[in-house]
Amino acid sequence: MVSTQAGAGIGIANLPNQRHAIASKKGSNYTILLCGESGLGKTTFINTLFTTTIKTPKTYKRRFNNTAEKTVEIEIIRAELEEKQFGVKLTVVDTPGFGDYTNNRDSWMPIIDFIDDQHESYMRQDQQPKRQELSDMRVHCCLYFIRPTGHTLKPLDIEVMKRLGTRVNLIPVIAKADTLTPTDLHKFKKRILEVIAAQNIQCYTFPLESDDEASTKRNMNIMAAMPFSVIGSTDDVVTVDGRTVKGRQYSWGVAEVENEDHCDFKKLRQLLIRTHMLDLIHSTEETHYENYRRAQMETRKIGEPKVKTVTNPKWKEEEEALRKRFTEQVRLEENRFRSWEQQLIAERDRLNKDLEAEHSHIKALEAELESMQVGLSPKQRK
Amino acid sequence: MAHRIGRRKNVKKGFQFTLMVVGASGLGRTTFINTLCDADVVPKRECDEPEMAHVEEAIKIKPYTVELDEDGVKISLTVVDTPGFGDMIDNEYCFQEILGYLERQYDDILSEESRIKRNPRFRDNRVHALLYFITPTGHSLREIDIELMKRLSPRINVIPVVGKADTFTPTELADFKKRVMEDIEHHNIPIYNFPYDPEEDDEETIDENSELRSLLPFALIGCEEEIMVNGRKVRGRQYPWGIVEVDNTQHCDFAKLRFALLSSHLQDLKEITHDYLYENYRTEKLSRSAENLSD
Repeated sequence: MVSTQAGAGIGIANLPNQRHAIASKKGSNYTILLCGESGLGKTTFINTLFTTTIKTPKTYKRRFNNTAEKTVEIEIIRAELEEKQFGVKLTVVDTPGFGDYTNNRDSWMPIIDFIDDQHESYMRQDQQPKRQELSDMRVHCCLYFIRPTGHTLKPLDIEVMKRLGTRVNLIPVIAKADTLTPTDLHKFKKRILEVIAAQNIQCYTFPLESDDEASTKRNMNIMAAMPFSVIGSTDDVVTVDGRTVKGRQYSWGVAEVENEDHCDFKKLRQLLIRTHMLDLIHSTEETHYENYRRAQMETRKIGEPKVKTVTNPKWKEEEEALRKRFTEQVRLEENRFRSWEQQLIAERDRLNKDLEAEHSHIKALEAELESMQVGLSPKQRK
Repeated sequence: MAHRIGRRKNVKKGFQFTLMVVGASGLGRTTFINTLCDADVVPKRECDEPEMAHVEEAIKIKPYTVELDEDGVKISLTVVDTPGFGDMIDNEYCFQEILGYLERQYDDILSEESRIKRNPRFRDNRVHALLYFITPTGHSLREIDIELMKRLSPRINVIPVVGKADTFTPTELADFKKRVMEDIEHHNIPIYNFPYDPEEDDEETIDENSELRSLLPFALIGCEEEIMVNGRKVRGRQYPWGIVEVDNTQHCDFAKLRFALLSSHLQDLKEITHDYLYENYRTEKLSRSAENLSD
């Protein structure tokens, strides 16, 4: 190893600055997936996070026009943000319909498929001769919104989080945390962490150790707050002591978004944007993508398309229903034929009976005739 | 008017009332029951081992009986809790469990009525009202809400309530209530809406019932602990930004609902159960058996 002395440097020390210049020109792709039942404040949260309306709130006027389709959709919203000349191509993926139905069996499939598809798409593009303009929608982090029941994670949460954790940087979030008192929140967080550990759910972690002590302390603070409690609000309200803040105004007080005693929003924002955005992006590319690629490469050749198992659960239901109808129809037709056959048999028997009756009638007449003839002939002979 | 006369007659004997509470876990059902009875009637949910958290628990029907004293009137209140409702990944079978329970109580009465020698100590376990806890999403009714209320309202008085209503700011709450009632009307769900006759009833009754009707669905907050507020003890929840009081009608509708259930509308709910809901069930059941016999 050759070390250069201070003052006689060759310019390696300037590399970080150069990299910064290159990165800020190129900007960055950042994809966040929001997962959770409707009504947990996902839209409000994302708008609060980026202090702009990324996604418009739900309208209710057309809710009665709902078709019978009970599916989980993947909604993609794109935005281009810029701050201090650094541009971010933000993609927010929402999952309306997840967890909203009476039967939520397999409702996570479209979400899992979406995540895998992005890895797949990137992999395929990367294998093309021309790979300058790659469209990269690989999900860098997934925020899973937990309902603030105060009890524990639901079976549905566990099923989905298990599958998400192995594919994407999973960050659990306690939604609408202003429903929980500090004691309730503390108990809830503790229990969620116990369940996550016991069920082997892989959540996002990052290296805590850093060059300076302040960063290390900050990192540890952030990790300790997981799962993050959030309150979302894009409205300005006035607190009891006259400050104007982003918050929610109740009859009994104002819950503030950026007050660390009220919720962990600030810590989460720090994680997602200020300090760990790069780590989220890198770990997606280096760990999750590589895992996917390796798993696929082991079984497939370059260029071969993915074998798609179309296992949409709603289609399975339809298939079942159709099969039932079909068997029902067949049964009805068979019954119809059987009764028709029986009718014919009955008819034949009846006709046979009549025939026999006629036959015996004829025989009787013949016998009568004969007897009459016998009785007659001797007379004739006289 | 009938309910007021009934009250005077039975004050000495006391009343019997059965209330069923249905809603997904974490909506404050258990806390509500304990707050209503001002006692630890239903034990707090024991969270299982974290290793077992992924195991789905089917719905259970659990009745608890408690003796209350409402302004000198004795009420024997039976609360039927339904833990496990809506907690599974596939909840299609919840409805039938509850419906089955309600109909079994009707069946018991039916067979008792047809006895030649009736049991004088027969206990009427029919459920007089069902409080359905709507998840406070802030949007509108979910599929499971609509399904449940539709399926159960032919057999029981359904009263929709919003659990953990301290999730909402006043405007959000008003909007949510409005949308929920619109949904209920759109789907033709016959809930118990404090009926009155504009021609027959007196003004006081009409006002009382209209007010209760306008509060639907009742916004509920439950709390079993008492805290100090300005030198007095109140039942409330203490947040870093303020205190929500259960008995404060500005904060939630708990007090009004409690009065309606245990005092003003207790008789009405029982009468509708007996004269209308039970009679319908009886007619349907007997017609069905008649049909089966004639086949």
